[in-house]
Amino acid sequence: MIKELREDRGNVEKNVRGAYEEAQRLQEKLNAVVTFADIDTQLKELPEDGLMRGVPIALKDNVSTKGLRTTAESNILWNYVPVFNAHIVDKLKAAGAVVIAKTNMDELAMGGTNLSAYSGPTHNPYDLARMTGGSSGGSAALVAAGVVPMAIGSDTGDSVRKPAAFCGIVGVKPTYGRISRYGILPYASSLDHVGYFTRSIEDACIALQVLAGRDDRDMTSSFREVPDYSAELNSDMHGKKIAVLGNVVRNLKNPQTIAAFNHVMDELKARGAQVDVYDFDEDLMKAILPAYYLIANCEATSNHSNLDGIRFGNVQKGETMEELMKNTRTNGFGPLIKKRFVIGSYGLFEENQERLFRKAQKVRRKIVDAMKDCLKEYDAVMAPASDNPAPYLDDNSADELSANYLIVENYMAMGNFSGYPSMTVPMGFADDLPLGLNMTCRPFEETTMFDFGKAIEEITGSKDMKAEVE
Amino acid sequence: MEYEATIGIEIHCQMKTVTKMFSGAPCTYGRKANTAVNEIDLGMPGTLPCLNMEAVRKAIMACTGLHLTIDPLVKFDRKNYYYSDLPKGFQITQQFHPIGKNGYVVIDTGEGPRKIRINRIHMEEDTAKQFHLKTKTLLDFNRSGTPLIEIVSEPDMHNGQEAEAYVEALRRTLYYLGVSDCRMEEGSMRCDVNISIAPKGSGKLGVKNEIKNMNSISNIGKAVDYEINRQKTVLENGGEIFQETRRFDEKTGTTVMMRRKEGTVDYKYFPEPNIFPIRLDPEWIKDIQDNMPELPEVREERYSREYGLSAHDISILIANKEISDFFEKVMEYSDNAKGVCNWLLGDVSGWLNRHEMSIENCVLLPENLAKLVKMVDDGRINGKQAKELVDDLMEGKDPEGAAKERGMEQVSDEGALRAMVVSVLDANPQAIEDFKAGKDRAVGFLVGQVMKASRGKANPGVVNTLIKEELKNR
Repeated sequence: MIKELREDRGNVEKNVRGAYEEAQRLQEKLNAVVTFADIDTQLKELPEDGLMRGVPIALKDNVSTKGLRTTAESNILWNYVPVFNAHIVDKLKAAGAVVIAKTNMDELAMGGTNLSAYSGPTHNPYDLARMTGGSSGGSAALVAAGVVPMAIGSDTGDSVRKPAAFCGIVGVKPTYGRISRYGILPYASSLDHVGYFTRSIEDACIALQVLAGRDDRDMTSSFREVPDYSAELNSDMHGKKIAVLGNVVRNLKNPQTIAAFNHVMDELKARGAQVDVYDFDEDLMKAILPAYYLIANCEATSNHSNLDGIRFGNVQKGETMEELMKNTRTNGFGPLIKKRFVIGSYGLFEENQERLFRKAQKVRRKIVDAMKDCLKEYDAVMAPASDNPAPYLDDNSADELSANYLIVENYMAMGNFSGYPSMTVPMGFADDLPLGLNMTCRPFEETTMFDFGKAIEEITGSKDMKAEVE
Repeated sequence: MEYEATIGIEIHCQMKTVTKMFSGAPCTYGRKANTAVNEIDLGMPGTLPCLNMEAVRKAIMACTGLHLTIDPLVKFDRKNYYYSDLPKGFQITQQFHPIGKNGYVVIDTGEGPRKIRINRIHMEEDTAKQFHLKTKTLLDFNRSGTPLIEIVSEPDMHNGQEAEAYVEALRRTLYYLGVSDCRMEEGSMRCDVNISIAPKGSGKLGVKNEIKNMNSISNIGKAVDYEINRQKTVLENGGEIFQETRRFDEKTGTTVMMRRKEGTVDYKYFPEPNIFPIRLDPEWIKDIQDNMPELPEVREERYSREYGLSAHDISILIANKEISDFFEKVMEYSDNAKGVCNWLLGDVSGWLNRHEMSIENCVLLPENLAKLVKMVDDGRINGKQAKELVDDLMEGKDPEGAAKERGMEQVSDEGALRAMVVSVLDANPQAIEDFKAGKDRAVGFLVGQVMKASRGKANPGVVNTLIKEELKNR
């Protein structure tokens, strides 16, 4: 889609305006947008050329946009207008992309449902009664509904890859350091990744081409050269080795998910790939979620200490500076955020840190070591992104201590622990709702990941698939 | 009962860098509030730190000059607390892996030189500046993010004089290395002094009090001595010492309680996730160490060896780096180190003080000072006349020309002076009689007469010799 739009030079304004109006038309149904952008100015300032020239896109509302409100769906930032652009915003604009909207998300990106958004949840374009998943739900919904061909998200646990699965689109989380995080409102710095959604692997290649590269303002961003992802794309599966994540597959319950996954694996085999079931230590797999939860909340409570109302944000009055800060934070954060801050602080207290935060880091290292071992032998680790398609908005049936929940629904944080590139692609349907397949590859081998994605796209015929929203 | 005081000092020193510790905003002093800041210094959401390697270089110089062992793996941690002058809600510091460990400085005490151990030096960032008014607080973020080193001593000091000498020794080293401008009055060097007292020989440590807010080195000694006496008085009257933060009040010369410390604050330190550990190249470290400016103690030793100056002169000369640097420039033109040193520490410094100027921004030329010293040494002018030339000299004038202009060049020509001596002797037969009768002061009288005849221009030394010679012939 990106290439077609780029080459449709005579209809740039029509295409951009069309996307903008479509997003407005769907707003009441999807609630995918927090703030609409000024497209006229952007159209006037459009560069002559660029890989995404004239392509309408959307940004998750935790991406700083100069002069454009950036709330991260938190009351505390409801009036916050950044004075600078995130690195990727400058890159996208230089490539000619036009931002039409800032999208809905879980408050401060902390959540996997998009239910904790201050302005209310985003609805799944395939079934408005269902959730998009989160935290990048608004971006996923706009791409799935065919409004924009690409939208930015962020992924700390699976915040791009889970909604991609629930919305039937491609969700990419490249290697840690591949895309600069400068200007992305943080959740947990060591786990945060800039990610994005598209409806085809080809678009995913173009998008990464634009987004990737060293930024001196992010010391964790990589100096590695950015390959020409589109030119290197090759769906030939001969000689490719795939590890199927046994711990996940064995704990699946939904027969349609199992069938869809097996079908894709069989077809990959038929195309020449070697597919083996590979098991990680089951206890280690069960430890992913608690370790993730601790590390993420510990870092988050510190990262968000700047939200005190002194310099920006939705400030509340107080007799003293301390009182002002307390009132601002008490008023500004939702209950789930407060819960996470309390847990994070608890994990960092001197008397707890060794047995909680530091121990979680040790678990993280063990998991990364296990992944490294696995990927020495295999080119990718694959498993369904979820057992079931998108849950209903009011669903709270998850058994949080079951292996099904602990492993199947939360294993994708492995990709954040390791920073390895990870991607979800559509793999079929269950009761007319999309299902996703997740894969993780070796660091900076996004090319390999896209090759697998392309092959699966050919198998499922999911290229440019979109939901018709009535 | 006799008590012994134990003193440890923590010093925060702003490093002299062009930009801040983790942002590209400029480091400034005295600029209009909030004009030297960017989004990073304000802790805006989504900003990330980017380490200033120039600050690391300066910290390595400080560690080297103060004999600390350098950790080549640079790591940073977060210190978490809420305060209105701390924009991110945490400070990036080096809690777990300071850049330097286990060093020392040598101080001069009444009983000779003594080593004061330094526990650690770590890098961190400064906070914003607060101005508390009656109904509001103003915040200036220009200082926010300025690179700091914190230098933590071992509790090796026992009185105000030692505390003062320690801070002075640190200041001198950091200043010579160009690590910091060390201006206590501007806050680029800030000292927190911890003091406790316990019965002498008990081997125990008392409850410690921390003193802040000393804006000069001499105040440190005053504050420490006051605090030791205060604690002593409390204990002698059966009272109890509480752990407190106190500030030094310059007007009254006393320490005043700011707040009582109850329990310790949990700063929830953890490694900074946005800065991966940085392995410093040993070659880079070595290059920094090999190319450091001269340390003051090395200069001391060199002045003694090269110029033969007394320890006292050297220590005064070196205490002011600019004067000392200027001294060396003058010595390129002079071979009288003692003479140059006296002039610099005496008349030149006096003139600069009167005019509120410093040696680097006045127009005095090193070669002119050398020339003036030489003119005196050669007896072309006398000391009193030389002093009259100070204004000219300090205004950049050549002392030779100035002396001529003022008609004060001494006559040292033997032929001319001998003629004058002969005529004075002829005119004063009584004085010759007195001399022969053993009255030595007659010579003084005759010298005076010659000086008078020459209108002060005669070289008194030469005149003295000539008179003695001529008297023998009479």
